[in-house]
Amino acid sequence: MFSKKIALDKELYDKAKKYAETAGYSSVDEFVTHMLEKEIANIEEDGESLDAVQERLRGLGYIS
Amino acid sequence: MSGTPINRRQFLTKSVKGAAAVAATSLLGKNLFPTPHIKNSKIADKVIVLGIDGMDPVLLRRFVDMGEMPTFKKLMESGFWGPLRTTMPPQSPVAWSSFITGTNPGGHGIFDFIHRDPKTFMPYLSTSRSFGAKKTLNIGSWSIPLQGGRVDLLRRGPAFWTILEENDIAASLFKLPANFPIQPGNSRAVSGMGTPDLLGTYGTFTFFTDLEIPDADKFTGGRVVKIKVIDHIVRSKLVGPPNTLRTDGRDTEIDFTVYRDPQEPVIKIVIQDHKIMLNQGEWSEWVPLKFELMPMFASVNGMVRIYVQEVHPNFRLYMSPINIDPMEAHLPISNPASYSENLSEAIGRFYTQGFPEDTKALSHGVFSNEEFLQQSKMVLDERLKAFDYEFSQFHEGFFFFYFSSIDQNTHVMWRDMDPTHPLYEPHASQEAKQAVYYFYRAMDDVLKEVLAKIDSNSTLMVLSDHGFAPFRREFHLSTWLVENGYTVLTDPSQMHEGEFYDNVDWSRTKAFALGLNGVYINLSEREVMGSVPPRDFLRIKKEIIARLAHVRDPQNGRRIVTRAYDSHEIYSGPYLDFAPDITVGYARGYRISDEAVLGKFPTGIVGDRKDKWSADHCIDPQSVPGVLLTSKEVKLENPGIWDLAPSILKSFGLNVPGEMDGKPIFF
Repeated sequence: MFSKKIALDKELYDKAKKYAETAGYSSVDEFVTHMLEKEIANIEEDGESLDAVQERLRGLGYIS
Repeated sequence: MSGTPINRRQFLTKSVKGAAAVAATSLLGKNLFPTPHIKNSKIADKVIVLGIDGMDPVLLRRFVDMGEMPTFKKLMESGFWGPLRTTMPPQSPVAWSSFITGTNPGGHGIFDFIHRDPKTFMPYLSTSRSFGAKKTLNIGSWSIPLQGGRVDLLRRGPAFWTILEENDIAASLFKLPANFPIQPGNSRAVSGMGTPDLLGTYGTFTFFTDLEIPDADKFTGGRVVKIKVIDHIVRSKLVGPPNTLRTDGRDTEIDFTVYRDPQEPVIKIVIQDHKIMLNQGEWSEWVPLKFELMPMFASVNGMVRIYVQEVHPNFRLYMSPINIDPMEAHLPISNPASYSENLSEAIGRFYTQGFPEDTKALSHGVFSNEEFLQQSKMVLDERLKAFDYEFSQFHEGFFFFYFSSIDQNTHVMWRDMDPTHPLYEPHASQEAKQAVYYFYRAMDDVLKEVLAKIDSNSTLMVLSDHGFAPFRREFHLSTWLVENGYTVLTDPSQMHEGEFYDNVDWSRTKAFALGLNGVYINLSEREVMGSVPPRDFLRIKKEIIARLAHVRDPQNGRRIVTRAYDSHEIYSGPYLDFAPDITVGYARGYRISDEAVLGKFPTGIVGDRKDKWSADHCIDPQSVPGVLLTSKEVKLENPGIWDLAPSILKSFGLNVPGEMDGKPIFF
């Protein structure tokens, strides 16, 4: 598996560790990866895929 | 059905020129609303507006001349009537936003049903945009929203009723389009066009059947669920909205069981706490449902109507799109928020989705003509109940009520009204052939109720946002742009494959089509993959406009485009940035093809229209004006839909704000 290290300052790491434990993640790595995935999805148009957008638009009677 | 033959162009020209004369004549004749006891008759204490989407002036005139709309005739003779100029493009969200704001589209920022985000090139519905919950806490497979999602109304500009509110004038707005989500304020409002179903779509039905449905996976606006009948029992699931509380976002589901009588055409459906007996051909009432997000803690409320199409030998069951339940709405569909609940207590549950008539079920062949019309009439019946209730509550101030029936039915039933339409069915039922007329006639009854109640202090306006034209041939604008070198493909051999512009070489593309009337220049400083330097922008735009005006249908030599408009010439105001650079005004009989709206490239530049959606209005606005009838003399020549907000304000003696560019019609 591809892996690359990222430096976090201690305060952020401690917080991440705390929430990872609260939310039941198996490791801080897993928690951080998941959070990043979600934020990136948000940046990429609120996590909504082009397919989902198109499906919604096609619900308009005007197009099929 | 026979009517006086009317040449549309002659009629419209004559009507516009004759409008002032008609108004003057009415002054000489009897005045329907004498005002002897009012000291200042210029100021109304009631303004009533009936918004009848898609009412066409030529069809209205034809039905009136047939003697079938006596109340409209009465109002035409005693007040004013004529065509109402509409927006470019003449699409409902654009035109109604101009009605609301008293501005051209540059003043409200809605230029098409569909816009694109230049930074990401993602398409979206122009009037509202939803955002998921950004901050969540995850516990196992559950994701708890810490900060709620939201829906934003994207229409900008001054809504006229905010000025009424500032002046303590009560306003009631029922299903006014381009008004979702409802903004908090002092007006009583229920949202209309633009309101999604519970899946976030404009309406997605579910069709349960044991039949093989060809291309079921390609259905838009509907889902087909293949079921098995075992020992006369069907077990299936209704799929609801995605569970936003689960990290895997899995769809919510509701199990249900159908028991079929072994011989009789009768079923019993057991779904949640409901046990419903239905005969073949029967509709259920609204069935409230709870989609569980987290057991015991969180659920979302919706409702469906169930229709039993066939019990034996095959099984066919239709469930309406899952509507937001007005008794327990999770989205802002009314103001005050509790109002949708109060209204449904008074009149029963009602369709909350923006386009309730299920034209998709008809287009896909799930509904026959008669089934579609039955459903349309149910929508109208609900609407009439709401109207009776709302109108009985109205005593002073402003009242707006919206009817969708004519618009949606003209779109799909025109083909059976018009023997020259390629999709005309000579053997269709009389009900199908007279469907459009039926819904016009229904409006006459509404008007009768209104005329009986209004007095000398009332101003009445009846208006539509656009008229109609047959839709016979589809123009593949996207393909035309490729053939003329403006859109460049990465792999031309794969031209007809792929989705939403995924085969486009943006580095060499100068312009692209998007939405129902728009062309955008691929401007380098604006589009995410822009390639046209600003110095070439104007030249390319002018070139495309000139070329579009000469496009002809190879089949018959007719012009496809009446006129392509330069946005900078027809729009003004603060929100021009959202506009396409060119808006294409198609000739009657033509419209953009479905595929070209969302970036596909069909073969050739023109094709036959094959969908039951057989009439449209997203063409040149001069060919599809709306209609305006008023109880008072209209002095402004050639009124447009943007002139009505200023007229409403003026009727109450209020000043018209500077940002409204419409003019009062009564002076």
